[in-house]
Amino acid sequence: MASSCSQALRHHVCKSSRILRVHLQKAWPNRSFVLNPAADQQPAVSSPEEIVIPKKKTWSKEAVLQALASTVNRDPTASDYRFQDDPYLTPKTSSEFKLFSLSQESGRNAAKYFISTYPKYFQKDYAQPHIPCLMPETLEAQLEEVSEAALIERIQMRKVKAAVDLYDQLQQAGTPVSLDVTNQLLDLICFYGDCDPAQENVPEQRNEETVGQENKLSHNKRSPCLVFSFRENNNAERVFALLSEPNTHSYSALIRGMVKYGAYSKAFSTYTDLLNNQLKADVSTFNALITAAPEVKEKYNEKWELIVDLLKQMAEQKVKPNLLTLNAVLKALRRCGTVGKSQAFPVISEMRALSIDPSLASYNHLLSIFYKPGHKGQTDILQEVMNEVSGKSFTPQDPDDAQFFITAVRICLDTKDIEQAYRVHELLGVGENWRLLGNDFQQNIYHARFFSLLCMMENIDVVLKWYRDLVPSVYYPSSNVMRDLLQALDTDNRLDLIPQIWKDLKQLGHGNRQTLVEELLTLMAREKQNQEVQETFAECALDIKKMYDTGDRGKVMMSWTAGSLSDLVSVLLAAQRRQDAWEILKLFKTHNRVPSEELLDKFLTCIKESGDVNQALELVQISAGFCLPGTPKLIQRVQQEFLLSEQQK
Amino acid sequence: MYRRLLININQVRNRLIHTHNTRLTLPSTKCKERESFAPVASTSLSEDKGKTPEETEVNAEVNTDGQRNTEMNEGTEISNATLTSQLETEPVVKPEDRKQVEKTKSGKESLLELLGAMKVEVTTVRKIRPSKTPRMSERPDQEPMESTHSMFQRATAEGSQQHGTLNPELVAAVSAAASTLPNRHQAESELLKQLRKHEAIPDTQRRADIGHIISDMKVGKRPNGRSNVRPTSQIRFDDDGKGYTQDRGITSELDGVRRRKSPFTSKRLNLFAAAAEQDALSDLGPTLWDIDLANQIVQATNQMPRNGFEEMIQWTKEGRLWQYPINNEAGLEEEASVPFHEHVFLEKHLDESFPQQGPVRHFMELVITGLAKNHHLTVQQKKEHIDWFRDYFRQKEDVLKEAEAYLN
Repeated sequence: MASSCSQALRHHVCKSSRILRVHLQKAWPNRSFVLNPAADQQPAVSSPEEIVIPKKKTWSKEAVLQALASTVNRDPTASDYRFQDDPYLTPKTSSEFKLFSLSQESGRNAAKYFISTYPKYFQKDYAQPHIPCLMPETLEAQLEEVSEAALIERIQMRKVKAAVDLYDQLQQAGTPVSLDVTNQLLDLICFYGDCDPAQENVPEQRNEETVGQENKLSHNKRSPCLVFSFRENNNAERVFALLSEPNTHSYSALIRGMVKYGAYSKAFSTYTDLLNNQLKADVSTFNALITAAPEVKEKYNEKWELIVDLLKQMAEQKVKPNLLTLNAVLKALRRCGTVGKSQAFPVISEMRALSIDPSLASYNHLLSIFYKPGHKGQTDILQEVMNEVSGKSFTPQDPDDAQFFITAVRICLDTKDIEQAYRVHELLGVGENWRLLGNDFQQNIYHARFFSLLCMMENIDVVLKWYRDLVPSVYYPSSNVMRDLLQALDTDNRLDLIPQIWKDLKQLGHGNRQTLVEELLTLMAREKQNQEVQETFAECALDIKKMYDTGDRGKVMMSWTAGSLSDLVSVLLAAQRRQDAWEILKLFKTHNRVPSEELLDKFLTCIKESGDVNQALELVQISAGFCLPGTPKLIQRVQQEFLLSEQQK
Repeated sequence: MYRRLLININQVRNRLIHTHNTRLTLPSTKCKERESFAPVASTSLSEDKGKTPEETEVNAEVNTDGQRNTEMNEGTEISNATLTSQLETEPVVKPEDRKQVEKTKSGKESLLELLGAMKVEVTTVRKIRPSKTPRMSERPDQEPMESTHSMFQRATAEGSQQHGTLNPELVAAVSAAASTLPNRHQAESELLKQLRKHEAIPDTQRRADIGHIISDMKVGKRPNGRSNVRPTSQIRFDDDGKGYTQDRGITSELDGVRRRKSPFTSKRLNLFAAAAEQDALSDLGPTLWDIDLANQIVQATNQMPRNGFEEMIQWTKEGRLWQYPINNEAGLEEEASVPFHEHVFLEKHLDESFPQQGPVRHFMELVITGLAKNHHLTVQQKKEHIDWFRDYFRQKEDVLKEAEAYLN
């Protein structure tokens, strides 16, 4: 018994191992796997003695945490992680979101400011071992004497003015400054455009910048030097002129500074200078020049020829282009019209041949070349791009990488291509790609576009599925998007969901958007629904009425219009709430609005069902009070349909 | 059947929308076809997979279309093309007259025709199909759709049967099939003969055949895929109301076809030599510009942690958090360069300053044994420990000598 049992077991094991092997082969057909028993008839490529020892795997120090983090999925019912500490501070509207996240950041900034300004109070080192990043930064120069070391210190502290002064002092004292240090000084001057950088706490300020929605404005605020152009005879050029033998680095710094501060033609003349001095330029110089190329030429062809010329010179000087070169060329091609369309793909192929893989920024430029806003793109470039990028995980390599998702989803919205939009959204979920969606502002744009497209193209069940998934954990829809949602509800005849949506609207802070609320009322009043739905509508309508009545402190109160009032009355009448409707009817008078005849007619019909003669008479009086032309008709109806006493007549 | 097909199409479309894995999805009706052939294919796979490794390789190499073709071929081959091809109501095929390859080709063609016919049936509005379709004109005779359809059903039913022995069911099926033909007795006997002959073919030969067919297929792969075989395009022009949605599904299905002409594979500018030398200029460490670029990238991207673990990752990177151990040498900063034998073999520290024998020596040997096993101390601390004893015994030398414990 036992032996047969074991026999069966072995058989089973054999079988399952074979199945496993088959599966393995299926899964990894082109991997010469170590597991290669003789039973397999694969040609014996390697002799059995040959054992490949796997290389030692070095884990990064975050490996464990990364593995743990990958197990956590987004909870669609929770708010953003940064708000989870305090449930009181869970944002419900987009303005609250902005406010809370900004206050968090500014709190951090304030703390940092105090630590850095008063370092003497923060010298106690509790941490064991020492944690450098918790200690105050030194913002004052420690070395006071006039020396090269002091100059290096000032350069590292990015004190442009102080560094230039010190350099001058060194020059006057006749102390030689090494070429490297001078180059660093040149870098510093050119980078900041010859004026001191604003006090910066770089990464933390990010959010504040995004609040100022005009990107340019905030940009200027951060580094006011940008408004100045590269002035004549500034310190950079002066220091450069003092150099006896400027090398590639010096030229590179100067040219990049010129390009950064808009002195494009000057940059090209400096480049000619460099060539005359028998020097080679480096890749970043070329990148800067390519960026400047569209600025110095007028015609599309000339721009492109200049770029090609620069690329040829790169090849001549044996400078290997990098990803930024590719992106600079593509960005320049965005301004080359039709030339861009014809040359974009050859450029990418060229870079591919040099084993430079495009980043998301490259694809973003590509999409911008082919889809100009306003034009209806007829090409399927987006599809091609999505074929290329689908399923890949990208690492940020270029500041423009973060534009890709917004551009892609904009094109989807323009071309109404829901399928590609889904692919874009799927790409967002791959690997670390979510980081490339950019900051909160960009995320908002992305989700708004994606969701409007959904409202436009999908049936309401799918839309609501996404709605529940995205709102309000990652996205706080604007009133426009909510109107899209209402329209989607309308087209798919799911008006019974309106009360729910109204609750969300209220929570999202759109309860006082007059147009939106009026649209909501119109939708509810338009058709007669079944009794249950009418009940919920009536509740919702009364809720809306409350919204009108209270009006948040300080905020603009919504004012009743004739349309919204009559919609409200019809909703209530349809739900047989005559008394409530009667109250509303009185509001017409208090707000100086005139009800329509149909509404009064409808009201009369409703009164007739209950047979309240007095109310009917009052209705006639109201009608007469508004001097409506239909009053006689109304009187006639009342006389016909009600049993009136003499007095009432 | 039609309903099921439609449902199937819808299902596939839904799946498409949700997965978007365009490369894996096949045109909807093909899925159907695959389903129906699955039993055939699977039996063939389970039998032959272990024996013919090259088959698996081929499967992996050819793309989706190719794979589908191989499957079709397997299907037709394993049932020896009898049931599927002979059920075409054509005069009975005589495979021994033809070469094996041709046979599979005919099988493939007939299958495709079958597919085409089915596709046409799906479109309920357009009954009359344009006769100028090249594929249709290839067909020798335009048989009514009804028969094709039922044949397909039967083919699937019968193809799923085990063909190991000529079981009665098979015989019954053959006779049923033959009954549709004009001279049923002759057809039946020929069918059965064919089946037996098929059984007689030794396994090895069959395997060789498969290899032969597959290698033949690889050679015969058309450069531009299925330019003349595009059954799905028929649905695209369907105007029975569903056309819109189906069309959308199919456009993505045809991605694979379009991919070949992707503009990303266009010609290059040919400005750079492929192996350009990297100039070793950037040896000075990151310049201000590099730092700024990194800064810009950080600012452009979303660095907000999404959960507690990601926040901890951030803290680890900033150096605020003790790092999680990723091996058993965590926290080994100062001892990282010290080899283990320094820790374990401590005899060399018991040099001539200690007596060579006697109780002190014995005691010290015990001490270093203990130290060798102590993983809390650094090598330096262990040395200090030994040094302390050296000093101690030197101080007590007189006492020890008196007690005759200090032998040197």
